[in-house]
Amino acid sequence: MFRKFAPLPIVALLALWLVTPSYGQLVCLPAPHLLTMMPMGAQAGTTVEVTITGEHIEDVTQLLFSNPKITANPATDAAGKVVENKFFVTVAADAPTGVHDARVISRLGVSSPRAFTVGAMPEVTITEPNASVETAKAIAVNSVSNAVMPKRSIGFYSFEAEKGKRYAVECAAVGIDSKLTPVVIIADAKGRDLMVNRTGGVIDFSPAESGSYLVKVNDLTYQGSARHFYRLALQEMEGNGPPPRHPSTAKVSSTSWPPVGLPAKPGAAEAEPNDEADRAQKITLPCDISGSFYPAADVDTFEFSAKKGEVWWVEVASERLGLPTDPFVLVQGITQKEGKETLTDVAELYDIESPVKISSNGYSYDGPPYNVGSPDVLGKVEIKEDGVYRLQVRDLFGGTRNEPANEYRLLVRKAQPDFALAAWAVHMTLRNGDRAAFSKPMALRAGGAMTLEVLTVRRDGFEGEIELEMKGLPPGVTATGLRIPAKKSVGHIVLTADENAKPGFSLATITGSATINEATVTRPCRLASMEWPVKDAKQEIPSPRLVGNIPVSVSDSEKAPITFSAAEDKVWEVTEGETLTLPLKATWRGDFTGTSIKVKAYGDGFGRLKDFEIPLKSATHDAVIDLAALKTPPGEYTIAFYGGAVAKYSYHPDAVPVAEAAKKKAEEAATVAAAEAKKLTDAAAKAPEDKKAEAAAEAKAATEKQKLAEKAKADAEKELKVVTTAAAPKDRVDIYVSKPVRISVKPKPADTVATAEKK
Amino acid sequence: MSGTADPIPMSPSHRFPEFFLVALVALSALLFSNVVFAEDEERPVHFVHDVVPILTKAHCNSGSCHAKADVGQRGFRLSLLGFEPQEDYEHIVKEAKGRRVFPNAPEQSLLVLKAANLVPHGGGSKLDPESENYKTLVRWISQGMPYGKESDPTLASIEIDPKRMVMETNTKQQLRVTAHYSDGTKRDVTELALYEANNKSMAEASESGLVETSDLPGNVAVMVRYSGQVSVFSVSIPLGAPVENLPPENNFIDKLVFANLKEIGVPPSPVCDDATFLRRVTLDIAGRLPTPEETSAFLDSKAPDKRDVVIDSLLDSPDYADYFANKWTALLKNKRESKADITANFAFHSWVRDSLLENKPYDEIVKQILAATGTIVENPPVAWYKRVTLPKQQLEDVAQLFLGVRMQCAQCHHHPFERWSQHDYYSLAAFFSQVGRKPTAIAGEDLIFHKRGVAKFENKKTGEPVKPAGLGGPTLEIAPDDDPRLQLANWMSEESNPFFAKVLMNRYWKHFFKRGLVEPEDDIRDTNPATNPELLDALANHFVESGFDLKEAVRVLTRSQTYQLSSKPNEHNAVDRQNFSHFYPKRMQAEVLLDSIDHLAGSSTDFADLPPGTRAIALPDNSYNASSAFLKVFGRPEGASVCECERVQASSLAQSLHLMNSNEVKAKLAKSAGRADLLSKSEKGDVDGIHEIYLTAFSRLPDGEELSIAEEYLTKPRTDAAGRPVDPKVAKRKAYEDLIWAIMNTKEFLYNH
Repeated sequence: MFRKFAPLPIVALLALWLVTPSYGQLVCLPAPHLLTMMPMGAQAGTTVEVTITGEHIEDVTQLLFSNPKITANPATDAAGKVVENKFFVTVAADAPTGVHDARVISRLGVSSPRAFTVGAMPEVTITEPNASVETAKAIAVNSVSNAVMPKRSIGFYSFEAEKGKRYAVECAAVGIDSKLTPVVIIADAKGRDLMVNRTGGVIDFSPAESGSYLVKVNDLTYQGSARHFYRLALQEMEGNGPPPRHPSTAKVSSTSWPPVGLPAKPGAAEAEPNDEADRAQKITLPCDISGSFYPAADVDTFEFSAKKGEVWWVEVASERLGLPTDPFVLVQGITQKEGKETLTDVAELYDIESPVKISSNGYSYDGPPYNVGSPDVLGKVEIKEDGVYRLQVRDLFGGTRNEPANEYRLLVRKAQPDFALAAWAVHMTLRNGDRAAFSKPMALRAGGAMTLEVLTVRRDGFEGEIELEMKGLPPGVTATGLRIPAKKSVGHIVLTADENAKPGFSLATITGSATINEATVTRPCRLASMEWPVKDAKQEIPSPRLVGNIPVSVSDSEKAPITFSAAEDKVWEVTEGETLTLPLKATWRGDFTGTSIKVKAYGDGFGRLKDFEIPLKSATHDAVIDLAALKTPPGEYTIAFYGGAVAKYSYHPDAVPVAEAAKKKAEEAATVAAAEAKKLTDAAAKAPEDKKAEAAAEAKAATEKQKLAEKAKADAEKELKVVTTAAAPKDRVDIYVSKPVRISVKPKPADTVATAEKK
Repeated sequence: MSGTADPIPMSPSHRFPEFFLVALVALSALLFSNVVFAEDEERPVHFVHDVVPILTKAHCNSGSCHAKADVGQRGFRLSLLGFEPQEDYEHIVKEAKGRRVFPNAPEQSLLVLKAANLVPHGGGSKLDPESENYKTLVRWISQGMPYGKESDPTLASIEIDPKRMVMETNTKQQLRVTAHYSDGTKRDVTELALYEANNKSMAEASESGLVETSDLPGNVAVMVRYSGQVSVFSVSIPLGAPVENLPPENNFIDKLVFANLKEIGVPPSPVCDDATFLRRVTLDIAGRLPTPEETSAFLDSKAPDKRDVVIDSLLDSPDYADYFANKWTALLKNKRESKADITANFAFHSWVRDSLLENKPYDEIVKQILAATGTIVENPPVAWYKRVTLPKQQLEDVAQLFLGVRMQCAQCHHHPFERWSQHDYYSLAAFFSQVGRKPTAIAGEDLIFHKRGVAKFENKKTGEPVKPAGLGGPTLEIAPDDDPRLQLANWMSEESNPFFAKVLMNRYWKHFFKRGLVEPEDDIRDTNPATNPELLDALANHFVESGFDLKEAVRVLTRSQTYQLSSKPNEHNAVDRQNFSHFYPKRMQAEVLLDSIDHLAGSSTDFADLPPGTRAIALPDNSYNASSAFLKVFGRPEGASVCECERVQASSLAQSLHLMNSNEVKAKLAKSAGRADLLSKSEKGDVDGIHEIYLTAFSRLPDGEELSIAEEYLTKPRTDAAGRPVDPKVAKRKAYEDLIWAIMNTKEFLYNH
């Protein structure tokens, strides 16, 4: 007997094949990316010349920083002409030290961020090769060197150290957006290694003898490029304290830390020895204790009394403080019988799980690559009996690691329901490992829309819905929050730019509001982004981080390929259990491939809406929403439609005629220069003896000028080729979002309900 | 068939009334207090004590025959070496519809027909129909295949006579093997026992226990096995030459080595000269040749302790860390299996290298590997768990690498040469039962953590869970919160641990002396004794007392006069292969040889992903073998095994051809600004040039004859193929290339001697 339908997995696979982009397609419309800065930091109170590189950043007008104490002006040459991609960056003397974000405003709007560090020590930029002992760059103690790492290379630095002094040597890279995995080595003057750190830590160096020493820096696997930049900090240390650390960007996991209102310093500290049960540290709840997973295989044991029916929430922060740890908490009840102690497990608390499945970085996209969860601990302990309990804190990574800097903070409290939020730009279902789209600034095209995915980490049993709001947008841009439903973790914010919006930029804020214990609580939402547009996630793991602020821009250099929305901007009313026919309208600007776009929906409960197709080029289309199937309860809703589509896209075609004109001009200049050179060369040949030298000099100058003109011509030809190639239409797949649609679901009339119940 | 009497006993004890055996034992004990089994027709043949040893002796139950794992051979399956006699009994007596044994016509039983090859037998003839063993089998069948009873005495031990003796070279000695049973009785089992010498070039043992020495002096052991019991016959074979003029002893090594040499009458060679010592010790510690400057400074020095000073200086250099990291990372399986492994492999290699550089104690290094947690980039020893994924692999690698015990056999059966049972195997596996894994963002790379829970591992044989225990140690009660791997590491580094320090010192001894005190170096067992057990014990003690200090281990070995003996044998000791009466020359390892050739030729080898100038001994993993014919031909290991034997040190024709004629070597010789090029352009003259080459290659100056031959060769006018004179500059460069080529192909260059 034949089966009537294909087996489900095959149907699913076919569906996947139909909606996902194929090989060779480019993913997402180009977005501006600021990629490198040199130097990538400066001492407070100084001005430095910074050179930037990026992609899709033509016509850069501004270099901006997440802190207003850092400002930049375009660099100019001797003639007062602006030098492309060079800025003078001024850091005010009272600018806060730490990592800030830099961005540029360009033709397509605001770029993705790049870390810029403000420090207290003098800084230098390494420009000469220093890949051998002989060419080691001499550096001063208490200085920062900004440099890039070439492939298969080692950077050598020399410094003078004094016996009896203590020096901290650190190579900042991972925490400042670099692709370098730094290795730092202290060697003697001949280059023989003395001390090594390969795990991103600080070398704490006290020389046995005064003299010259070398610092060697390389990548763990000797990778290198302009994107493998680093800041080598050499610092003399006072006293016996821990070495100072270079500041770092924040991990996405730190979204949930610290809880609102937490004092900066903990109330108490663990007191060793407390490893063994009989030496457990007595505490009373609630508590706020700092401790350290030190020495190796450290167990910190605390003992407290609790009453039946109490519920305690336990939170441990360590990984979220930026440390390579995996805390674990075990709570056990103690019973004594005939002088013998019996322990009963009450709670095992492991990680803060991500509220959604995160990406496995495999071939196909299978979830967001951002993890708001953490190896840290956040969980509850329910007390079933009056008694004495023991709480152990240990680091599941700490068995053999002797690192006193691996600290933690332990909070045990009665429930304080709350939430934390993080958002990132939504991307589409991608395959073939392309993760370039994740590094996505909020740079809107006129007539376009973008979506932010907002996740919440719920704390201490809070389950209510969270309304989302985004404010502070540039003119012509609106944002609508699609709330996070009760007991769920994901909501959205849709940003839309007016079709006629003019270029604009602003710093926005995102907040979430919820009712907790009958009061409205509002919490800020942080934005996450990828450090790099990663082309192949199999070869390079995308690195997400939290960014300093939320800039939004709109540009009109090119318009969005499609704008679609409800036919009317109004609240669409519908009765519970009925079907809403929603007329949509669309403006098609792009040359789309295929016959239709498959559309789904965002919005509380509307994610289950069965996808439908909008035929290409159709100006209107009715979306049919069966509320009975969705089981949508009465209430106010905001939803948005979205779908993936492939369109031919030309990158910056306006650049082609400009380049053609430049080429023509260069050709003409070259022709003139050639003629002039020939004329003067011929004249020099014929010049009388007494004028020969002068004529020859003139001819030589003209020939030099001709060479320059030829080079300018070649450059212009090359540029034309580049922009022409970029402008050639290519298939690009992207995710397109409608303007949000408001729907009001009214309750069924009472008699209908009664009739239904009777039936 | 139903209703007919079953000719096969239902259980091993059914066939013979119990009183019969009791009476027999009582009678035997009364009449023959020394012999439990009368060797006559009347005595019931015992399956375990009589039949199984015959099958073992005839190799029927060897791993390649009927004891092939899980399948046996052509439908007939026996347990390996008869370790499961109950199962064997079932297979022989009850399977194949009873055709294997015919009590009514015993000689028609397949068991004996096949064994004697009277019907075609894939294994050929294993038993002579005239032999006692054949007759015993027939008698057993005719008696109705008795098994024996549970109350029967069991084999308690075996005794060899003599147990230990001095044998002259080229002499014979018959061994007698006596089995002792649980009731105090004994029996001569010489004919049924198995014999195997641990060094067949020194002694051979026949099937019947006749030991014959060859002409090599030293210590050799013959392992004797019978019914799961193992013992050793130790032989000392003296040369008997006068041992006079021993070098002064530098440390306890010399005391124990020289004592042995005196005992066996093998006089040692004198201590080597300074040039030889410097080259030898630099190659062995730093994996490189000394530079001409180092050589000149050392030879010129008059300091009495200059040899000790140079040892310390080499140990302080990163070259030591590079060279020994190269040794360890191969054993720790730092193998590149995919492109994405590069980060893990570089990180792990560097971690090993850095640990050696800072002289992290050996027990700490091992603990950090065994109990590694976290991710590879943050904690590189986690990489070991990427390569060695299953608890069984983990215990087997750990046992072989760090304990010198090969546990593989004990997974399925009692170890044939050892005291280790399946219980011991799974007890060791239990240490790794709580290794938790979580996937990371990197495909194929897990992070490792301790998974809370009581450590235990199921014994495959019994189905029972087994708790952790060190080999020969008590069962440990480990709390669910404690990582059992830390307990394993602690057990290893206990002072009393009989394996940990010993195997390391034996491994390092082999590194410096070419041959381990125990061979193979990672097969330490009672039945494979060290050639100088007192020395191995003393080395292990010294290592423990030093706090597992690896540099001290190297220091004590290289400071000994024994290490510093000349490699030139004297009139007596040339035959010595294991008593260290002279230094045994070793061919340079692949990486060292490649670096040395580059050093001599003034060239370099380019390795992917590594900075120019990186030497072959600093390569992080095996991936470079694929792109370097040189490394492959000279046997660089692939990191697939914990055994050092994966490195091939044997010579081959391909090696000779590669050195003499490969494009790779030719290109090195002809390199622009290489040594030949520079010397041919040097204004210092040919004598200086020849001196430089000799100092670089051999760490010595040429003697008069060598110098004159080389000079003559360099100054000889040259002609091209057409007989035209060659440009003198070109001719000189070619001549230098030839000279370096010739020197590169000498044994003096290729060997550390």
